[in-house]
Amino acid sequence: MNAGDRVRVERADQTHEGVLMPSTTGEHLVVKLEGGYNVGIDRDEADVEVLESDVYDVEDAQAESDRSTIEFDDDLPTVSLISTGGTIASTVDYRTGAVTAQFDAEDVLRAVPDLAGMANYRGRVVANILSENMTPDVWQDLAHAIHEEIEAGADGVVVMHGTDTMQFSASAMAFMLDTPVPIVFTGSQRSADRPSSDNVMNAVCAVEAAKSDCAEVLICMHADESDDRCALHRGVRARKNHTSRRDAFETVGAKPLGEADYSIDGDPEITFRREHRERDATELDVDPDLATDVELLKFTPGTDPAFLDALEGKSGVVLEGTGLGHVHTDWIPRIEELVADGTTVVMTSQCLEGRVCDRVYDTGRDLLDAGIVEGEDTLPGTAKVKLMWALANTESVEEAMATSLAGEIQDRSVPWT
Amino acid sequence: MSDADYDYEDLGLVAGLEIHQQLDTAHKLFCPCPTDLREPEAAERTFSRYLHPTKSELGEIDEAALEESMVDREFEYLSYDTTCLVEEDDEPPHRVDREAMDVTMEIAQLLDASVADQVHVMRKIVVDGSNTTGFQRTMRVAGEGAIETDEGTVRIEDLMLEEESAQRVEETDSGVQFSLDRLGIPLVEIGTKPDIRSPEQARDAAERIGMLLRSTGQVKRGLGTIRQDVNVSIAEGARVEIKGVQSLDDINDIVRNEVRRQVELLDIAEELQARNASVGDPQDVTEVFEDTDSGVIGGALSSGGNVMAVRLAGFDGLVGREIQPDRRLGTELSDHAKRHGAGGIFHTDELPAYGVTEDEVAALRDAVDAGPEDAVALVADDPETTSLAIDAVVERAEDALELVPEETRDANEDGTTRYLRPLPGAARMYPETDVPPVEPDPSEVDRPELLTEKVERYQSEYDLGAGLAEQVAYGEYMPLFERVVADGIDPTLAAGTLESTLTELRRDDVAVERLTDDHLAGALALVDGGEVPQEGLDDLLRALAADPSLSAEQAVEQEDLGGVGEDEVREAVVTVVERNAEQVESEGMGAFSGLMGECMGELRGKADGDTVSSVLREEIQERAG
Repeated sequence: MNAGDRVRVERADQTHEGVLMPSTTGEHLVVKLEGGYNVGIDRDEADVEVLESDVYDVEDAQAESDRSTIEFDDDLPTVSLISTGGTIASTVDYRTGAVTAQFDAEDVLRAVPDLAGMANYRGRVVANILSENMTPDVWQDLAHAIHEEIEAGADGVVVMHGTDTMQFSASAMAFMLDTPVPIVFTGSQRSADRPSSDNVMNAVCAVEAAKSDCAEVLICMHADESDDRCALHRGVRARKNHTSRRDAFETVGAKPLGEADYSIDGDPEITFRREHRERDATELDVDPDLATDVELLKFTPGTDPAFLDALEGKSGVVLEGTGLGHVHTDWIPRIEELVADGTTVVMTSQCLEGRVCDRVYDTGRDLLDAGIVEGEDTLPGTAKVKLMWALANTESVEEAMATSLAGEIQDRSVPWT
Repeated sequence: MSDADYDYEDLGLVAGLEIHQQLDTAHKLFCPCPTDLREPEAAERTFSRYLHPTKSELGEIDEAALEESMVDREFEYLSYDTTCLVEEDDEPPHRVDREAMDVTMEIAQLLDASVADQVHVMRKIVVDGSNTTGFQRTMRVAGEGAIETDEGTVRIEDLMLEEESAQRVEETDSGVQFSLDRLGIPLVEIGTKPDIRSPEQARDAAERIGMLLRSTGQVKRGLGTIRQDVNVSIAEGARVEIKGVQSLDDINDIVRNEVRRQVELLDIAEELQARNASVGDPQDVTEVFEDTDSGVIGGALSSGGNVMAVRLAGFDGLVGREIQPDRRLGTELSDHAKRHGAGGIFHTDELPAYGVTEDEVAALRDAVDAGPEDAVALVADDPETTSLAIDAVVERAEDALELVPEETRDANEDGTTRYLRPLPGAARMYPETDVPPVEPDPSEVDRPELLTEKVERYQSEYDLGAGLAEQVAYGEYMPLFERVVADGIDPTLAAGTLESTLTELRRDDVAVERLTDDHLAGALALVDGGEVPQEGLDDLLRALAADPSLSAEQAVEQEDLGGVGEDEVREAVVTVVERNAEQVESEGMGAFSGLMGECMGELRGKADGDTVSSVLREEIQERAG
């Protein structure tokens, strides 16, 4: 008896006939009935008869045998679709019942036929992971892959990525790569296996943004709960601020850099609110080295100072302090020791909105004396990625952390723009 | 022959029912929002979405979903202060509402059905916009039950618990507007096996199931809260699912008319085969209508459209053949064209008409090489629509050559039906992975008392008359009646108030629907406890209906409806008797009835009639004596 077999299950006075599903567990047989309903039957109570073996190839049901052939059109720009996994290209795993990433970039074209005719596509899979499983070495693979794609002539790159850690990967690309073309991250908040998925509009808008003149690392996701426009966030300033909404991503400290106005005929209009790096203004380069022993520690009332002990010997630490950039005064001597020991300690704020300023209160002044570096208005997550990169690639980390390298610091606080 | 002459047994009529009933639970099936319906004007926000069909877990795309998605439509949704992100498909569903599962298990007991060991929530693909997700969440809770009808047992195939869809508000320029208040209300679906053999039995079975459902006391009442789908086929015909029959009284007609339609379609197929009929390829015939006076065709052409026509060889006269009251084969073709965005079709069985001239008909026949034994169907619209619509017409006409197509149809108000979409299959179902399976325990719920049993008990236990007992048991206030009687209220008072008093007030244009269960229970308790005389109940309910923000106690105080003591009654009676001293002296007890009314008026309903009457009797006797 295997998943995909047609079976008859007798249990007490009931008979169920249907296809045995892979979601069957030790306790329950799961049978798909004629009408499509699944029903779980107590295994101990059931008598099973296999009527026909392998009626369905359940494991491969989602795959398609004929690969789509994509025609090349000289008049269209070339966009590289790089897949790292995530909900935009995911399907249901019928063993666990959960949604997992299973598609490669080519599948995205089949999943989103609306992309056809917008560009010539190159497909590439860098990873096939859920974004919570992302690691710095995958960032490095991704940076190399993007570099190769652009070198090979891509006029823009779209990275399909799980939304959970998208802002971290986007920040990593922003620091690692000097890019002459747009690098656009996109994903979906509602999985691709549902008709209401946001993947179609996000993917279409991302490709359009990848054809635009903005040579920066962007995040392209729904701007509101309607399927009407995507926001284009500067990756280093973006944050996932909602667990489930389509418009979970927000630019912190400003309005999004740009917008893709979606219309159903597949021709979104891209506009930008502010200055941005223009296409071809930069020579392509990649510096993928990272110091991976960097931690982000959030201070809240009562946080055990022992956490600081665990940071001993690390190259860098980003603190997510309170308010203007504070921690309990008892922490300060320990921080001073860390700094003296060679650890770079960067202060950011859990307020998220606004700039760190440790010159206003005594605690702040004491922290400065202890040797912390102010992270300006850099987001804590972005600051962590930046510190990893700066420790491996810059002469003066302190100076780098105070300078906007990829738009992560806004020199003027003008959140209404 | 008229349909009354059909021998249903002979025709091999097989019918089944699907009954959908909204549950009256506190919360929606997958979120804690209330199950209240709202007016579209109360909407606080709107948003818009598109839907795209997806593959099932077995790798198939549902045909019905695919056809629906051919039409690119934007869906606009209205949300309220009574809806949340779950209805907007911007938050995963919460766990299955327990109350809804309990009521469903009660219904399973009434249907004699077995509850599943493990219930799996499924997604049923529906991309017409009525579900923000693009699917309806549904679960098979029980199966293999049975009900009795006068014509024999009808077996129950399954009992489902699912979420109600969003209410369609209106068509917009670019799509359809839906209201989210209804989305997610728990809905049970009961499917019978195809055991029904006559239109009467179909109605009987539906009525029986309706009674069982209402016996739980936890189903919604009113228009649209129960819907019947009817599956009908005859021996040579095909299974046709007819959706949305609103009233029990329509079921007979629906079944009769569908049998007739299938009989007529088979007849047409036979005739077409005898004529060696065939369907041609669509052709552009725009030229024929360049100078047309037809408003429809001219309108389409002047806005850049075209006209496509198809030769239906051997169809002459049959396209116009009636198959249901005022519906022809041509209407079927037209329904298919409409599904693809066209306004409809014209065909030669009905032309010349609608501004199309005889010359144009002749030129049209010429253009597609149609002879006198042929018919021609045409569509005029924008080129994209025209092409989709004429293909749909061709497909339907080809089906007419040999069979009755399996399909889903929509019930019209006059008992006829119209084409809705292909019959959905198992391919539209896949697991709802956001909600873990549920292992329900049927021993946690008791079998509800049937309404028929309640009628008996109300008579034997509460001494209600047979008529009133039935009115209460089958009426919308049954659960409230049981609640207040359990709290010790006199059953006769409760029954009379909830059935007669409220009916009278309603006839008097009092907004009875504004009275909550708490209003009614409070008012009954005050009367039963003697704090308000029975005569004051009417005014009390009027006051509460006028200002539903009041509690029953507050209304009594505001309207000064509290009962008066015997001293005050005597004072009032004495005043009346003395005012009429002459009459009392001359007529004695003969003056009683006239004065009784005057006394009651003096006390403005604040005293109990029995008390007034006995005091009045004493006072008259004293003076007359």
